[in-house]
Amino acid sequence: MTWEIDYLALAPELVIVVTLLVVLALDLFLTRPNKYWTATAAVAGTALAAIPLVILAVEGENVSMFEGSYVVDEFALVLKGLFVVSAYLVLLLSHHYIESERFYQGEYYFLLLASVLGSLVMASARDLIILFIGLELTTGPLFLLAGWRKGDAKSNEASVKYFILGVLSTAILLWGMSMLYGLTGEITFAGLATATAGLADEPAMIVAVLFVIVGFAFKISAAPFHFWAPDTYEGAPTPVTAYLSVNSKAAGFVAFLLVMYLALPELSEIWAPALWILAAASMTLGNLSALRQSNIVRLLAYSSIAQAGFMLVPFAAAAVAGTNIEEGFSATVIYLVIYALMNVGAFATVIAGANRTATGDIDGWAGLGKIDARLGVLIGIFFFSLAGIPPLAGWFAKFAMFRAVILAGGTATVVLAVIAAVNAVIALYYYARVIKAVWLDDAPAEVPARAETPPSVSLRLALLISAALTIVIGFFPAIATFVGDASRIIAAGG
Amino acid sequence: MLVNQFLILAAALFSLGVYGLLVRRNIVLILLSVELMLNAVNINLVAFESMIRSADATGQIFTIFIITVAAAEVGIGLAIVLMIFRNRRSADVSDLNLMRW
Amino acid sequence: MVETIIFVLMGLAAIAGAITVVMARNPVYSAIGLLGTLFAVAVLYVLQLAHFVAAVQVIVYAGAVLTLFLFVIMLIGVDKEENREENLRFQRPVVGVLAGVIVVMAAALTAFGDFDWVPASGAVIPEVTNGTIQAVAEPLFTDWVLAFEATALLLTIAAAGAIALAHYRRRESTDG
Repeated sequence: MTWEIDYLALAPELVIVVTLLVVLALDLFLTRPNKYWTATAAVAGTALAAIPLVILAVEGENVSMFEGSYVVDEFALVLKGLFVVSAYLVLLLSHHYIESERFYQGEYYFLLLASVLGSLVMASARDLIILFIGLELTTGPLFLLAGWRKGDAKSNEASVKYFILGVLSTAILLWGMSMLYGLTGEITFAGLATATAGLADEPAMIVAVLFVIVGFAFKISAAPFHFWAPDTYEGAPTPVTAYLSVNSKAAGFVAFLLVMYLALPELSEIWAPALWILAAASMTLGNLSALRQSNIVRLLAYSSIAQAGFMLVPFAAAAVAGTNIEEGFSATVIYLVIYALMNVGAFATVIAGANRTATGDIDGWAGLGKIDARLGVLIGIFFFSLAGIPPLAGWFAKFAMFRAVILAGGTATVVLAVIAAVNAVIALYYYARVIKAVWLDDAPAEVPARAETPPSVSLRLALLISAALTIVIGFFPAIATFVGDASRIIAAGG
Repeated sequence: MLVNQFLILAAALFSLGVYGLLVRRNIVLILLSVELMLNAVNINLVAFESMIRSADATGQIFTIFIITVAAAEVGIGLAIVLMIFRNRRSADVSDLNLMRW
Repeated sequence: MVETIIFVLMGLAAIAGAITVVMARNPVYSAIGLLGTLFAVAVLYVLQLAHFVAAVQVIVYAGAVLTLFLFVIMLIGVDKEENREENLRFQRPVVGVLAGVIVVMAAALTAFGDFDWVPASGAVIPEVTNGTIQAVAEPLFTDWVLAFEATALLLTIAAAGAIALAHYRRRESTDG
């Protein structure tokens, strides 16, 4: 039994732990006007966490700890990088929002950082227990944060719905995991992968895998288990919504993919059709519901459900066809990374736009581009990128998706590709509707009263970084391909 | 040892938990139902462990982690209950229909 | 034989407690029902040689968690009858049928499913060490030490977050 701990490999997690404890301690001693230091500490700590990530990436050594339960390889590092960057952007978004609405500040950053820590743990988890703990660490703080606008009835409701569905899905997931353990006696992904061979016909195994899939489907709000998401997204404070739809969704996705891909590859005949259905249903239901929305946050909520469907497409298609599954996995990861970056940007424009027009209704944004051209351009960038218009990053995500589907081949795959293509067109319609309101519609007769304060420096910085990433990845997809390659290594090394 | 019987008992408790979760209106009672479901999972794990008897008691370790996490979740859930109760003097989820359930 | 008798008795007690949880009109009865289930399940753990888990179950679950539940139930008022009018008239029977189907399915799976994967354990006399504190603690503090620390943080989160969320100031906007 080796249990040497490689502290350098754990350094990103440790930096976040130290930061969140510092934030909590600072909050005790600071008086109200100085509370913004907690935010500064949180942002600085998150930025610091990137340094050991870079060092580890340069060293390029795979570290495996706790008997293979916790692995730091290139794949884990890429995802940790994504989580840290998106957490950094969300912290920038939060700064002004949290301060201006007189929330508790110290605890807010403490909880948000704890959730980030959970997602970092999940990226490295290679067994069911650590995966489960990471998942709880990611979602637990978010149950509380969703209700952070304490006096607001909608926020209360968001918190309750998220919590009830969260614990329900955890129980379902655990039931599946306990059956997996009972049927194989294994808990690590590597052990499960070998022990599940030939068990695909076992009825108990089918039930176990389906329970695991349903549990995860709730977590990533894939249709038909998505109904909590729009309400929670609308009720939660907007930066928390951004975090929910980007970071926590990505973390749930990573956990889902790892379990299916690394732990249960032998059972793909059970889960591949289920994933196919989830992908098709999420795209279709998400997009059709998004068409009817008048509130921008609800629109983005349904859009993120639909995007989750798109993300599942390459992996599901390859698994159903049974060929080029590596290609499908890496396309899904590429889509996930690009989606996360552009969706953070979209939420940043929502905060800026709501700040400018004092409304979250799409109609209320009419003529926004003429009042504030820079914001209008940014809205254009992020929403066109979400729709997949070249040369913005979103097109490469869609391109990688369709390429993987074509490589997979087969009838079921073609059907899924057609559904995806139709949905891409529907999505273009509602994303374009927002841009039309902003640029083509006439501004209301009386120009909405300008918010008292101009967008804060941190919000501008967040907008700048995410816009830059969206454009740069669009022009140089090689960056995203690197991500895909990293996930192909996991395929080989697993 | 008796393993299948334990699985059936666990399935029964899990189903009762699901039933309670869907039917009860009070958030505290919904939480109690979730505890039933988690207990069912724990019975599963301990029963499997007594059958598999892995080298490092993995099933029992998993159970201990689930109990701990459940305790944390109860803390979080009851905080949410108190917050809601202060705002609307009720812990009934059917009052929460501002945005359609 | 003794095992079977204990299993049947405690199993029935657990089910009875669970039914109380989901059926009782008064939330306090529901909590007490859960208490019964937890104790019965703890006895079953002992039957399965998980002594330490049984102790944790009684101390943490029945002791701490349930006290917290009762405390909150008292705080928000026991006299409030739950509103049992249905918005959806057919909801309850549908759910009942659904839950019944799950039980039948699970029972069928476990009773008739192909359960040959079991290493024939019935004949083996269990080692007494399995499930003792030593047997559980050693892996817990070596292999699972990372998960252990993470759960410690999770409990801190629950405590700090719960205070922040449930605490109300007299005048929300003045101090902080």
